[in-house]
Order: sequence, then C-alpha cells, then structure tokens
Amino acid sequence: MDYAVETISLTKVFSDWWGRAKVYAVDDLNLQIRHNEVYGLLGPNGSGKTTTLKMLLGLLYPTKGRSVVLGGDGADPKINSRVGYLPEESYLYRFLNARETLDFYGRLFGLPAKVRQMRIEALLDMVGLKAVAGRPVGTYSKGMARRIGLAQALINDPDLLILDEPTSGLDPIGTRQIKDLILKLAERGKTVLLSSHLLADVEDVCDRIAILYGGRVQAQGKVRELLQQTNKRQIITDTISDGAVERIKQIVQQEHAECEISSPMEKLETFFVRTVAEAQQQARPTSGAVSTTHIGEFLTPQVQGQDVLEKLVSLHVSQEVSSVPATTEPVPADENVKPKLNEQLLEKLTKVPAQPETERVGTSQTAKTEPVESELSTESDRDEVRRGILDRLTGRSTTDNKKSQQSDRQTSEGADNG
Amino acid sequence: MGRAWAIAVNTIKQALRMKVAVVFLVLLLVLLPVMAMSVTGDGTLKGRLQTFVSYGLSLTSLLLCLFTIIVSIYSITSDIEQGQICTIVTKPIRRFEIILGKFIGVVVLDIVLLVIFAAIIYAVVIYMPKFSKASEDDLAAVKNEFYTARASLVPAEIDVSKEVAADFKKLVESQQMEQLFPSSTQDEIIASLTKRRRLEKQAAAVGQELVWEFNNVRQRDPNESLFVRFKYDVSVDPTDSQVWGRWLVGDYRQIRTGSGFETAIYRADRKDPIRTFREVEVPADAVAEDGYVAVSFYNVPLNNTVVIFPLEDGLEVLYKADTFTANYIRGVLLILCRLIFLACLGVLAATFLSFPVAILLCIVIFFMGTISGFILESFGYLGANLSLLYSYSIKLLIELLPRFDQINPTKFLVPGRLLAWGFLGKVFLIMVFVKATVLLVLALLIFSFREIAKIVV
Repeated sequence: MDYAVETISLTKVFSDWWGRAKVYAVDDLNLQIRHNEVYGLLGPNGSGKTTTLKMLLGLLYPTKGRSVVLGGDGADPKINSRVGYLPEESYLYRFLNARETLDFYGRLFGLPAKVRQMRIEALLDMVGLKAVAGRPVGTYSKGMARRIGLAQALINDPDLLILDEPTSGLDPIGTRQIKDLILKLAERGKTVLLSSHLLADVEDVCDRIAILYGGRVQAQGKVRELLQQTNKRQIITDTISDGAVERIKQIVQQEHAECEISSPMEKLETFFVRTVAEAQQQARPTSGAVSTTHIGEFLTPQVQGQDVLEKLVSLHVSQEVSSVPATTEPVPADENVKPKLNEQLLEKLTKVPAQPETERVGTSQTAKTEPVESELSTESDRDEVRRGILDRLTGRSTTDNKKSQQSDRQTSEGADNG
Repeated sequence: MGRAWAIAVNTIKQALRMKVAVVFLVLLLVLLPVMAMSVTGDGTLKGRLQTFVSYGLSLTSLLLCLFTIIVSIYSITSDIEQGQICTIVTKPIRRFEIILGKFIGVVVLDIVLLVIFAAIIYAVVIYMPKFSKASEDDLAAVKNEFYTARASLVPAEIDVSKEVAADFKKLVESQQMEQLFPSSTQDEIIASLTKRRRLEKQAAAVGQELVWEFNNVRQRDPNESLFVRFKYDVSVDPTDSQVWGRWLVGDYRQIRTGSGFETAIYRADRKDPIRTFREVEVPADAVAEDGYVAVSFYNVPLNNTVVIFPLEDGLEVLYKADTFTANYIRGVLLILCRLIFLACLGVLAATFLSFPVAILLCIVIFFMGTISGFILESFGYLGANLSLLYSYSIKLLIELLPRFDQINPTKFLVPGRLLAWGFLGKVFLIMVFVKATVLLVLALLIFSFREIAKIVV
C-alpha cells in the first residue's frame, strides 16, 4: 500500500565530539501513515517526536534507516512544495510583520503575486490576525506567533501537514480553533502528522496515534480502539424522572450488572470556550487574536462525497447553462476577472499536484486548447458546471481540477476503506 | 532564481530593520561632512583634497568591510541559531539558493551603500575648490596633480648581472667574503652586490649626465603636459639642502644622430630640495612620433655632491591618461572587489561557525589582509633554516590571503595616478573570480551537506 509517510527502521544517534554514540533519540522506528489520516505522535519530552519529524524533512540526517514522504525524499524541493511544516517553535523573523512573513514564505514556494495576495488575506482571516497584521511579528505573543506559524505552513495548500506541537502556547480557544482546523483539513483530504504531549488534543483530532518513549514506538493504533472499554456501556439521557431511573436500575440488575447514575460533567474546555464566546458576543475589546474560524477557501478539498456532488450538479445545471459562464462567476476569495488563466498559471508555478504530475500537465494542456465559447454549448456541460461548482466551493476556479477530484476521491475512498 | 531573490530581499530588510545598516549609514553621514570641513592637509588646496579623499575612502571602505562581515555572518548564523532556517529549508528551495540569496542580499546592500558614500565623497571633492579661496598656482597644481589620472612610466631595470658576476668572482678570490658579508648566503651577497651596482647607474657624479629613455608614451596632445617626477638623494648634504639640476626632456636620438630637430627638446634649470618628490612639467609634444622620450639630468658642478636617484622611486615620467572621474569610479570598484570577497568569506564562515567565532575569524583575516605586505616582509627577515620552513607553509597561506594593502584605491587617487582597467580587471579576476568564488563554492558545499537543525535531545 502507498503511504503518505513511511519510515523504515529510522534511527538517529547523537554522538559526542569524538563520534562515540551518546543518545538514541530515535531507535528503529517504523511508522506507516496513510493518506487522508490524522496521525498523532505522542510521547513525553525527549521521546524523539521532534527528531523524527525533522528527519522526515531532511533537517536532520538519519544515522540508519530511511523515510519516504509522499512517495519521495522529504528534502526534495518537489516534495517540499506539497508539504506544510510547523516547527516546534514558530521560528519567525521578528522584523517582518505578519503579512510580509506570509509573503516571504509564499515567494519561497514560487507562488505568483496574485495568488499570494489572495491566500495571505484568507489565511490572516483564518488565524484571526487580520487586525494586527501590520505589526512586527517580534511584538506578538507566543500564541499569536503560533498562529502565523500555522498560516505559514498552509500557504502552499499542502497535501501533507507536519505539525510539531501545534497547540503549544495557545489559549484554550486557540487550541480549540486549531483542533477544528485540523479536522476541517482532514475533511478536505489532507494528511496531518502532528506531535504533541497534550493528550486531550491528540484524543480529539487524531485517527491513529503512536506513543513514543525512548525513541521507540510503545503503542500504536486507532484512538477509538485503544481507548474504548468494550466491557462497559454508557447511556446518556435528557433529564428524566426518578421513577424512570429506578426502572432502568431494575433492568440493569436483571442483567446482573452494576449501574452508576449521575449528571455528566461538562469538559472544562467546552465551558471555557462557551464563556469567552458569550463575552465576545457582548463585544468586549481585546488586543489579542480574534479568529473568524473561516477556513482558507483556497485549501483544496480533496474529498467530496460523490452523491453530494451529484446533487449539487443537478441543482445548478439549468441555472448555469442559461446564466453567466461558470468561469466568470465571482469566486469567494479570489476576485480575479480571469481566474481560469490564473489557476493554470498557479498550477504550473506552484506544482502542488495532488496526483502524479504528468497527468496534471496533460489535463491542463487539453483545457488550454479548448475554445472558451464552446464550453457551455458542448455535451460536456455537466462536467463543466461541476467544475464551476467546485470553484465556488473551494475558492479555486480550476479547469483541470475535475480529473484530480476524481482520482483523489478514489484514493481517499481507498484510504477510508482501509 | 526568484526564490534566491526572496532570500536576498529578506536579508536586506533584516539589515535595514535590525538597524545594522542604519548605524553604519548614520556614522558615515556624520563623519564624512565633518571630515570635509575639518581636513587641512598641508594647508594647500591639494593637500586638503588629498587628505579628504584618502580619509574619506579609507573610512568608507573600512566601515563597509566591517558591515559586510557582520551582516553576511549574522544573517546566516541568526537563521540557524534562532531556527528560521528550519522553515526555509523545508520549502521548495535548494540549499545553494539560500546561500546565494544571502550573498546577493549583502552585495546589493554593499553596492547601494558604496554608491551613496562614493557619490558624497565625489561631490565634496569636486566642489571643494569652488568654496576655498585658493590661489591660481594652487588651482593649477590641483588640476595637474589631483584632478587627473596620470599613467606612470619607470625606467627599465638595467641588466647588471655581468658586473655582479665579476664582482662576486673578485670577492671570492680576495678571500674577504666572510669579513664583508658575515653569515650571509650566496643569494644574499649577490642581491646586495646587484643593488650596489644598480645604484651606481642611478648616481650622477659632479658634472656627469644621466639619461633615461622611455618608449610607449601614449600622450602626444601638445596641450597636455608631461611630468618628470623625481626625488634627489645626495652623498653630502648641501648647506641649504637644495640641489641644482639641468633637465632636458625630448627626443634625445636627435642629438645623438645629429639629424636635425623635428620635435622640441625642453630644458629646465632648477633648484629643488633633496629627499622630497618634485616634478618637472614640459609640454607633451616633447614626445617623438613613435612614443619615445628621453629624460636627462646633468649634475651641475655648482652642487659639489654626487646626486643619487633612489632605486624604487627616484624617477618616473607621468602623463595624463584618463580623467579623474573615470579613475575615481575604478577606485570605487576596487573597494567593491574587497567587499565581494569579504561577503563570500563571511558566508563561508557562517556556514559552519557560530556568530562570535565567525566574526573573529573574518576580522582577523581582514586585518591580516590589510597588512599582508608588512607580514610578508617581516617574514622575509627570518634566518635561513626557518625561512625554508616558512616559505613552504605560512607563506603559502599568506599568499591566499586577500592583499588588501595592494589594492588600496587611495594609493592611486591621492597622487592622481592612473588606475588602469587592466589592473582592476586583474584584481577582479584574482579576488572575485578565483578567491571569492572558491570561498562561495565551499560555503555552498558545506551548507548543502550539513545538518540544519540544532541537535536537541
């Protein structure tokens, strides 16, 4: 099976000045992370989480073993362009402001100016730093810097996100937002690999986890399976009368089982988030981060339920044909007049393919040679309109996305089944 | 390339916003005008101009050199130590593009700052005569000896090897070698004999005439001048420390062959102080059609002393070969060569050393470079055995050092000497194309293969 990330007996030994082995930071590590999976590396401090992630990206060289990232070498620029990385601390240039920071990283990805501009605004909005985007990053609190660090990791619309302790330094609301974001990204088909020692975070978002200690995997598996107590059952009801409770107790006793009845406790996190949300509604002023939690629309969704898509297509098909062509429809986050051309340009420049590149090149070429007028009058109207709808949904106006959607859907379905 | 440029722009922003560049800018912007107001030199306008150009360019060069070292090292080591490099390397950029970007950023900053300061110095130099109450003589001297780029011709070395061989043979036969040259090698004795013989050829006894011949003088515009620059040395000091001389400048072959006079031969009888540089000015039409000119000095019997022209700088012929502005621009480019070299050095040091260590290394190399001539010379006085060891070890290392003292632009601009394109080209070739490129390639290699992340366990 093709994995998003795979390590093969990855080992990192830190030696002293004389070359004598001192510490086994990572010891014979074998991980297999599937596509479209949120995978958590858990472990106490110094258990080798960060070292593992750094080896995946070529920041550290393994002493032994190797790793495969998205089917290639994690240090290869071609692979890098499909990966977003948030290091364990948000290493940012103190002298740049938030907008310049994101622009700088966008340039490193070779994104054209218009795309950069669009994504920067969407990301600033998403991480809630739009109001303070003109301030030098050096004046930000740790949590705010963390948000910029995350935005930086998303600017290339990555297929694989590697997040090293994404919630460290964030307030509970920020933590909640990041967790929601990770879930939303996972919904859009991204693969997320994160490390953390905050158990609650991992429990909430991860599909599968590995617990590291001393550089070795101690336990691995699906969170649900690892934690579920199969010998117990829990029933949650609305407020019911004491009589009803008594009857339930009797039924349980007939089954020869013990039964405990109490009002469930709310999670402190939920309570905290709700309290602050109420305060926000009263519009108390704050100098901190205010997030809209709107996910950056440019982040390509790679999973769409086939049936949902079909419904949408059939709904819109008549309107679309009679009204304005799909390609000139206003696109939520991108106000370009000719989004189609820009998109092609973007695809060429960014090379953030979700599938093998040759296929993409082929489709974009055919799209180019199509006369624009004939788009809606041909028999492939349905496909064209589907594209238009996808544009609206994703904030991308792709003409060559159709094929990628289908292929991605197949792979992600495969991953879901597996 | 766009990615390397993004890194370069970021480096420039860093230098400007972290106020490294600002400190240097303010320092120079304050110091240069103050210097322009306060320099006096030897009291003449020429002296003031020379002092200002010399100090101004030296200060600019020194500060920009330090600036280059600091910025090139800081921008890389801070990225590595503070971790930003982790976010950059994981982007689709090749490592050599990162290093190249840093280098380009530093050099672009250097060029901008250098142009600003060179322009300020140039403006002050051009406008200084207009604001000073200089006499006509002063202005003429400035025009001829400062606002110019004069090419220099020195007499060809005379072959004295036969005489020296004869001397040496005589010395061996006379058995006085040990007595006259205690504990010297044969080479040293021969060198000393050669020097003695050469000096003899440059000495005019009372009533004797010395003739120097020059070919390839490329200045024949009769409106321009030819200058004979000389320095007297004497065997017996005259009471007023001055020497009479009769100078003839022109096509001397006409006198020898007696074929008549086609070009003028100019004569100057003058009295000049000893052990200072003086100049005889004659119109440029003294030069023959084929670029030949001879200079003759006649030791007037009145002098009562042997007149000697020191070997290194006793006599030369100067003529205007280019404008001051062109020369000045080449001088500034010479400084740029230095800065490019130092940028490469800084980048290299930063790829494998921490900030303080790299700074120390680069500054030591920089200062060794500025006194490399002195170092080489002082090692030359080592004993025979040590010198053998030295010439195969340290000497090679010192040869690798940048020879900053050899390429000091003030050496050319202060006496109004021509800084030829050829010389600039040679410096550029050795310093930038060979030495700096080697450093940069080394830096690229080291950076491409090293582990970027800090080791944390």
